[in-house]
Amino acid sequence: MLLLGLSENQALLGDLHRIIFSLNLNTPPLFFLQIKMVSLLTYIVRRLILLTFVLLGVTLLIFAITMLLPIEVRAMLYARNYQHISPQGLRELAEKYGLTRPFHEQYFTWLSQVLQGNLGWAKSSSQPVLEAMLSRWPYTFEIVILAAPIMIFLGIYLGIQSAIHKDGIIDHICRILSIVGWSLPSFWLGLLLLSVFYGLLGWLPPGPISDELRQIRDSSLFIRYTRIDLIDGLLNGYPQITLDVLKHAILPVVVIVVINMALLVRVMRSSMLEALNKPYIVTARAKGLDEKTVIYKHARRNALIPTVTLSGMLVAGLLGGLVITETVFAFGGLGQWAATAALQLDIPAVLGYAMLSAFLFVIANLIVDIMYAYLDPRIRLE
Amino acid sequence: MYVKSKWDEIKISWSFRVKEWKFILKRISESPLAVTGIAIIFGFLIIACLAPILAPPQGPDPFIVPQDIEIATLTPNPTPPSTRHIFGTTDQQYDIYYACIWGTISAFRVGLSVIIIALLIGLVIGTLSAYYGGIIDEILMRITDIIIAFPGLLLAMVMAITFPTVLPLDITLLTLIITAIFSLTLIISKSRRKLLLAILAVFVGDLFLYIYNPIIIPLNLSKLDKVLISLALVSWPGYARLIRSEVLRVKSEDFVEAAKVAGCSTLRIIVKHIWPNTIYSLIIVSTLDIGSIVLTAAALSFLGIGAEPNFADWGQIISRSRNWISRPDLLVANYHTFLIPGIFITLFVLGWNLLGDALRDVLDPMIRRR
Repeated sequence: MLLLGLSENQALLGDLHRIIFSLNLNTPPLFFLQIKMVSLLTYIVRRLILLTFVLLGVTLLIFAITMLLPIEVRAMLYARNYQHISPQGLRELAEKYGLTRPFHEQYFTWLSQVLQGNLGWAKSSSQPVLEAMLSRWPYTFEIVILAAPIMIFLGIYLGIQSAIHKDGIIDHICRILSIVGWSLPSFWLGLLLLSVFYGLLGWLPPGPISDELRQIRDSSLFIRYTRIDLIDGLLNGYPQITLDVLKHAILPVVVIVVINMALLVRVMRSSMLEALNKPYIVTARAKGLDEKTVIYKHARRNALIPTVTLSGMLVAGLLGGLVITETVFAFGGLGQWAATAALQLDIPAVLGYAMLSAFLFVIANLIVDIMYAYLDPRIRLE
Repeated sequence: MYVKSKWDEIKISWSFRVKEWKFILKRISESPLAVTGIAIIFGFLIIACLAPILAPPQGPDPFIVPQDIEIATLTPNPTPPSTRHIFGTTDQQYDIYYACIWGTISAFRVGLSVIIIALLIGLVIGTLSAYYGGIIDEILMRITDIIIAFPGLLLAMVMAITFPTVLPLDITLLTLIITAIFSLTLIISKSRRKLLLAILAVFVGDLFLYIYNPIIIPLNLSKLDKVLISLALVSWPGYARLIRSEVLRVKSEDFVEAAKVAGCSTLRIIVKHIWPNTIYSLIIVSTLDIGSIVLTAAALSFLGIGAEPNFADWGQIISRSRNWISRPDLLVANYHTFLIPGIFITLFVLGWNLLGDALRDVLDPMIRRR
């Protein structure tokens, strides 16, 4: 099931099945809570309480997992130069950083630091965690902001076409394309694209920005208003930077679009088919409406609801970092940073990242639920 | 219907099932996509079964990819496909053909075992949560929420790294936990007082045993096992939720009420009446998921957390090509190191996805007989 976009490879996002199945079972995909609520406000407040609970749970879980490591290994993570360290030195380090203390004490020490706004020091990138995340985030944002509209519109369009021409040639092509797209390993697709467009043709290099332009961007003359190069280039009057960023982003965007679109096409197709089988469509046709109005005004509107839900969840997942795609294209975004941190067991960084993505997940759920209630009058957050 | 004997009764009850399966098989054979999917999976099964013939192992452990020492002395770089190595070799001269063939077995192993473990955990938690509801539902679902809210790939990474190579499997603690769960369910179901007492007695006995003499069995885990376990531990919440919603759906059906009225025990209702009615959606979802799990495992290998470097695994070979991402000339020259294993992965996943997609159309009760 899908890991909520965090592996762009569709794995583990449990809610996908609920979304797909809810189409058939007519259960509203209200996540988390079977809500019986007085108003929207109480609903939101309850969700925010849940958020703190989820954040605590997520961090506790990681803390517990890292406790599986022997103390020596964990002390090693704090060492500056771990090749030349004696067992005695390790023990001193463990004492110094309180690793010998009981689990709950260590967790509460970390928690009190977090509540003071200190997420700790990310050793893997030699930066404070918060700063590291803020500096990596714009790269991820660039890809997502470019990929999301393409993927959502193409997904909806192809899904509708596929449903209208059910069992026709267009339907078969769309279905096969979406199943193949769904089956492609993102890192493999990335490698293939890189070897053709960078290796063979030399057009589209990896990385977020060219080296010469990186110097301009990092110079003092260039003011980083938003930290997003795509926008800052235009604001500073360097359109070549914007163009260069666009050029670098093409391949990652293609990978993200191909893989996530497959999912959207499938969901859109099945919900459109479901909608086209409803009695109100028969009524609309019996009234003598032309097919276009029936499809685009009556069926599409109702079929869009699950797709909107899924798109929201997908985009939220993508914003949390594209671990594999960013690693393949060396794009330097949140996902790549998190992967490096996890590989080097940089615990504060992993904890910070986990909190960020859990936060995004809960907020995305909240927004999706509210939108759902807004789109479908039958579902009210009572 | 007048029933003559016990045998006739069985025959009649089975005739419906046989009819059902005939119908399903007919629908599957009518769908070209499903047939393609089955053909692909079958092809991989044949490759897996014939692996010792297709690629004779050269050492005691067949999953260790052989290294061509003769070429390795000449060059460390990958060599392109040739008659000696049909798919070429990776850096340090590991044979790609051998790894692809034996990697098929690894892929089946990863996909199936992760699904089975995750399904079992999901089945227990989802059923308990849906059937009993109330506070148990609340607690179990909040735990699943936490794991779902987590970036799964990253959690799997951290778990796979931190998991100890030798896992001390504490048998007494395990039985302690299992008996505790059993007695809890019995307490809630408010029946079978004697059984409850017996289980509580076992629990107390276990507790004493645990305090005085815990039985610990060291379990040696290979790197692939760690990946398997962490993937299963990350992917169960999806199933738990699915099963919960399915059980909730079935629970309110008339036949469950009828079974309750007829005096069936809770366990019997769950096993005999509720589970068989949730099985179709589980089959669909797990078929679709085997592909995704193999993809995730390959992605983990690509990120550097997979099997041992010389282990026959598709993702493992592709991960070696990370070294030449930044070198355009090498990327083109060594295309075979990622192209061929990638085709294997894609086809394998495609097979399962095609099958799962077709099964969804065939098995889903809401759309099947339209």
